[in-house]
Amino acid sequence: MEKVGIVGYYQVKLYSDANYGRYEMIFEAVRGALDSVGLKKKDITTVISATNDYYDGRTISNCFTVEVGGGYMVDESKVEMDGAHAVLYGLMRILSGTHKLAVVWGGSMASCFPYHSARLYETDPTWERPLGYVNDITAAGFQMRAYMEKYGISAKEIAEIAVKNKKNASKNPLALEEAQKPNLTVKDVLDSEIYSDPVTELMVAPPCDGVAALLLAPERQALKITDNPVWITGVGYNQETYYIGDRNLYESKSMELAAKMAYDMAGIKDPASEIDLAEIFEAHAHEELILAEALGLAEKGKAASLNSKIDGDLPINPSGGALGGNPPCATGLIRIIEAVKQLKGEANGYQVKGAKRAIATGQIGMCCQNNIIYVLEGEK
Amino acid sequence: MGRQVAIISAGFSEHASKRSDVSMPELVREAIDDCLKKVPGLEIKDIDAFVNGNMPAFEGSNIPELWMTDWLGARNKPLMRVTTGGTTGGSVAIAGYYTVAAGLPGVDTVLAVAFEQQSQGDTSVGLASVAYGEISVMNTLGIPYEQLTRLLSAGAAIGIASYQATNYMRRSKITEEDLARVVVQNRRNAAKTWWAHLKMPHLTIEEVLDTPYISYPLRYGMVCPTSDGACAMLFTTEEKAKELCDVPVYVNGVGSVANETAILGYCGSGAGQLDPSEQLGAQKTAELVYKQAGISFPRKEIDYAEVYSPFPNQELMWVERLGLFEENTAPEMYANGITAPDGELPINCSGGVNSTNAIGASAMERPAVAALQIMGKASNQVKKTVHTSLGHGWGGAVNLITMMIMSDEPSRKFK
Amino acid sequence: MSKRTFRKSLDYVKKEYKRTRTIPASWYLSSYKYKFNITHMKPFLEKLKQKKLVGLECSSCNRVFFPPRFVCGKCLVKPDRWVDLRETARVATYTITYIKDPETGGILEKPVVCIRQDGSDTTHLVNLDPEVDYKDTYIGMPVKVHWADNPTGGLMDIEYYDVIEDDAKDLGLRKD
Repeated sequence: MEKVGIVGYYQVKLYSDANYGRYEMIFEAVRGALDSVGLKKKDITTVISATNDYYDGRTISNCFTVEVGGGYMVDESKVEMDGAHAVLYGLMRILSGTHKLAVVWGGSMASCFPYHSARLYETDPTWERPLGYVNDITAAGFQMRAYMEKYGISAKEIAEIAVKNKKNASKNPLALEEAQKPNLTVKDVLDSEIYSDPVTELMVAPPCDGVAALLLAPERQALKITDNPVWITGVGYNQETYYIGDRNLYESKSMELAAKMAYDMAGIKDPASEIDLAEIFEAHAHEELILAEALGLAEKGKAASLNSKIDGDLPINPSGGALGGNPPCATGLIRIIEAVKQLKGEANGYQVKGAKRAIATGQIGMCCQNNIIYVLEGEK
Repeated sequence: MGRQVAIISAGFSEHASKRSDVSMPELVREAIDDCLKKVPGLEIKDIDAFVNGNMPAFEGSNIPELWMTDWLGARNKPLMRVTTGGTTGGSVAIAGYYTVAAGLPGVDTVLAVAFEQQSQGDTSVGLASVAYGEISVMNTLGIPYEQLTRLLSAGAAIGIASYQATNYMRRSKITEEDLARVVVQNRRNAAKTWWAHLKMPHLTIEEVLDTPYISYPLRYGMVCPTSDGACAMLFTTEEKAKELCDVPVYVNGVGSVANETAILGYCGSGAGQLDPSEQLGAQKTAELVYKQAGISFPRKEIDYAEVYSPFPNQELMWVERLGLFEENTAPEMYANGITAPDGELPINCSGGVNSTNAIGASAMERPAVAALQIMGKASNQVKKTVHTSLGHGWGGAVNLITMMIMSDEPSRKFK
Repeated sequence: MSKRTFRKSLDYVKKEYKRTRTIPASWYLSSYKYKFNITHMKPFLEKLKQKKLVGLECSSCNRVFFPPRFVCGKCLVKPDRWVDLRETARVATYTITYIKDPETGGILEKPVVCIRQDGSDTTHLVNLDPEVDYKDTYIGMPVKVHWADNPTGGLMDIEYYDVIEDDAKDLGLRKD
């Protein structure tokens, strides 16, 4: 695979109830990304957006955002999944040779719609929706219980992940303010409101408002635009079956297959030793453990004993992850941006020392049904 | 960078106004089976990746591919979802092209599926919600709600088409008879297509003009139906296509340039397109696509075209904007039979969108039929050999366009 | 003519499919909030209260937006210059809708027009004078603002547009 570089990025600060509208956020993100490397509107050759009709309350959500997103008279399209999948489509457009600079933006405003009700529309309307047993929160409860029983992990160890991520978020200036908790304890997490036993409120990634954008370019153009682009050396994406009863909830088959696709492309044989840090999109705290095992960063059932703090052996989510703020459709994109910041040395306050190779993931669907992973390398 | 992409098959499900015998996944499965049975050397387990799309407002399902994984055959396979409203089918086909052209290791054969089951939802709610947000801004700025609903009752697709029609009529001086003639040609073509919805083999111009107005100058008899249906296309590399298919169809140009919205601007501002029948976005897309495909005189080099026109005035307008005919000459071309199945440049021999409109799928059915015409396997196959064909779609607030050019020769860049 | 009569008359055969179960559901659009920031409209609304028209100009492409727009799409910058506009305008496009009157059950004909204010580069949806015979509408017809009696600082301060005398020298704009 030829090298494609991420040359610029911008993320808007996350708010739980932002005081401005959708168009302002999109303009700020896209203009910020272009200004950070001194590019102009006429350099853009394609724009890919990631928004969701049910989250925005309107169909064809990209129809009126053509101008603010930089898409006027430009080849543009829309991916209706996580922001990380939009980066995949942008990547494919660059690899086909027809385009020279791709702008990828995504995000939505969770304060404008009932998030968990909109997630309910993902369920099977012929059987599960009328019965009402399965929605994104109860599915998380099923998965957490399955993982705990299979490997003998206690709820305390999973709560420690929530504590670590919220502490990391307090060092990240762009994370959600309500999620920045430097003094959180395991007891606080376990005592918070129970959503669906054993998942409690502080273990769930809080939906909020936010938009992020990034720029992709092929190798030659990327080296002209900036001195240290971050290269995408591997990508993998996969979707497993939908019905919860058909899956082993204590492991993530789709992430294993996606990781195999990405590692083969990047030439990685032993991920635990070759990767310096991981930015994982975890919609619930236990997913970080399950996905870390599927990615090969730890043995099955041993992810809880991994030292994943910022100064540990294998830092996971130094920016706080999705537990530090989850704007629907933008979270995967933000994970890629945080990994890029770490590789460029621009993560002030939560920098991992000497990071050269990182992975960033995104997901969509209940219990991580569709996963996507990127392997990123910094320019030496 | 990049590699040549070929289409080896296309399949359709039966379209009807209410497919009450199947659920959405089963409808999609019909189209996939029809697509795969034309390629005996390929099975569902040989597909490397999937690209899907539909317009989600009509079925009440957010990201239905998550539910339909097993029916698609996508269990433990890569899958991506692309939706852009009315042009969804075209965008899915283009995304299928890019997935193969990118050359990711292990991704060589891609199945692109677009579908819609409109009878499950309320079409008018789905279409009107495009502008709910912008209507609420104008409401805040002082315009009372009743007036807005009246202003926009000529809104959504039919309204925008009627604005386009008045502009186009002033420019080219066409009459209602010209519009009716286009409808008659489309519906008679649909009668020979097995999967089309409105089959009217004996329709006449007088019957079309005898129906009441919906919104000047469009009448009931001229408007497209709403259908349930699905469409699937198979993309692969040049080498595999030569093994699996006797006439592979090479995709030589794709484009989807967007424009400012018409009639209603964003966030309470005015609309940028002064004349909705001018379509700068379509003209720019056509330029880009013809350059990629190496076509300099579309009128002679394109042998067949499928144009997305739910309303007859749009068909006359698009064939001019896409460069197929000169300005203001389209009505004569229809009257002289040049666009009939046995004419010089046949257009919409499958009946077009005027006879079958499953919104999510219809923009993909246009390149699908155009590809089948080159292969010689279309339902209403034209007599002459088709070497180069064109599939087109539009949507949104008339600002989104998709185009795909196909040919039986690979493009010069990859030869 | 009802839709059923129309379909029958055009020789259309509706195929009957075996019915399966129906499960009801709905998309609660009313539970959504739409957030907009309209601070860029404030000077425009103030001037409307004073019965004056202003448009917003983008300094890099010199396009004037009426009503004002937040970002100019061509240049991807915020337009920042306010310009005064004349009260005359021309019809850019129009259509006539046929709506069923809920009380009488008859068909009402209502014109809907998009006008382009002189000096601006965008179109805007408005009403025409209710006493004008809409059948005379044509593209390029000149119209003029008719202010409401007590302007309140909203878009309804422009109550409707009067039709004025056409003095265009360009014959192509006239109705044929």
